[in-house]
Amino acid sequence: MMRLQTDQPTRAERAAYLAEALAGLYEGPVELAPTPGGRRAALRRLRDFDPRDYARTRNDVVRRGVSLLSPYLRHGILGLAEVRDFLVTRFAPGPGLAKFVNELAWRAFWQLVYAEKGEAVHQDLEPAKVSLRRERGVPADVEQAATGLVCLDTALRELYTDGYMHNHARMWVAAYLQHWRGIDWRDGAALFYRHLLDGDPASNSLSWQWIASTFSHKPYFFNRENVERFSGGAYCATCPLAREGCPFDASYEELAVRLFAE
Amino acid sequence: MPNAIVWLHGDSLSSVDPALLALPEAPAIFVFDEPFLQQARLSFKRLFFLYESALEALEGRNGFVYRGEVVETIRTFCLTHAADEIHVTTSVAPRFNRYVQQLRRQFKVVVYQPQPLVHWRGAAPRRFSAFWRRVETEALRPTGSGPQAYTEQSS
Repeated sequence: MMRLQTDQPTRAERAAYLAEALAGLYEGPVELAPTPGGRRAALRRLRDFDPRDYARTRNDVVRRGVSLLSPYLRHGILGLAEVRDFLVTRFAPGPGLAKFVNELAWRAFWQLVYAEKGEAVHQDLEPAKVSLRRERGVPADVEQAATGLVCLDTALRELYTDGYMHNHARMWVAAYLQHWRGIDWRDGAALFYRHLLDGDPASNSLSWQWIASTFSHKPYFFNRENVERFSGGAYCATCPLAREGCPFDASYEELAVRLFAE
Repeated sequence: MPNAIVWLHGDSLSSVDPALLALPEAPAIFVFDEPFLQQARLSFKRLFFLYESALEALEGRNGFVYRGEVVETIRTFCLTHAADEIHVTTSVAPRFNRYVQQLRRQFKVVVYQPQPLVHWRGAAPRRFSAFWRRVETEALRPTGSGPQAYTEQSS
């Protein structure tokens, strides 16, 4: 065991010190996320968050009407109840507030399942409802945010540099890795867990299982129309595969046949 | 009162951690879990976020950050401070529960419960929709005005 220093005056000095002090306990470059740790930063974000438009804007990957509170909730820096109390006593009832509290309840649900299932959340909780290829290992182009698909590479770059990915983009990336690339959800979950500041064993693994259909009644997948709608067309406008070769450019019916036909 | 220490961990890493608040004078410790991190291969960003959060949580008090094997490090920390009680806020993580069990062989461990979003008894339903149907009314009802209120559970 080793006692760490706690008196570095600046963030950069803290980082340099910690990089040496924790040598062997992390992987990849010594880079900081823009999200600061600590409750003061958490409370600032809470005070800045206005949930009134949340139901309408939360799924938009570009406009982002989200709270960005997840790293603080995950590490108990903010509690679910106090966040609910703060918002419900400051904003009138409405669909945005209700939806946000519903999202807080998702975390409570994942924790409840984790308390009951323990480490089993990292294995299939139910049989998959479709045929999954389940190849092992994250492909290099995904590790490098170089799939050539702007919607996914943008999300992956943000994951690797900022330790964050918008929830809707997480669904796209998770569905792409599993259903288009045939990768086992456990390897995708491990990739997210390594990088996400809000990486939580339960929320993460169970969400990947929700996409896989091993903790839901059907697999989640998406199409190009969904990407365009929830990015305001921003990704497709600059994507080299937009005119030809977009693997998402089909109806849900066509994709279901393409992805899940035995 | 017997000598006690506060153990902070990655599921409750705040300056208003219930165990920290309950024992404002007690020495407090956060441990980077060496065997776990060696296999988890987390990015540096994640560890720095934890470090920054731990430093702020421990500001202005007798606080320490270590890397090591968690149970052994806390055991040594207790002996150093002549403590026979460990106060800690709960977690549902199986690893946390294993550590608490091991520590209880030698120390009294007092576990605090953070205020839940909703109260739930019984098994988890298979789907969130069933959970939400039962908790929606309670989930939307405030119990205070925000940061912050916690209660102690038991030892």
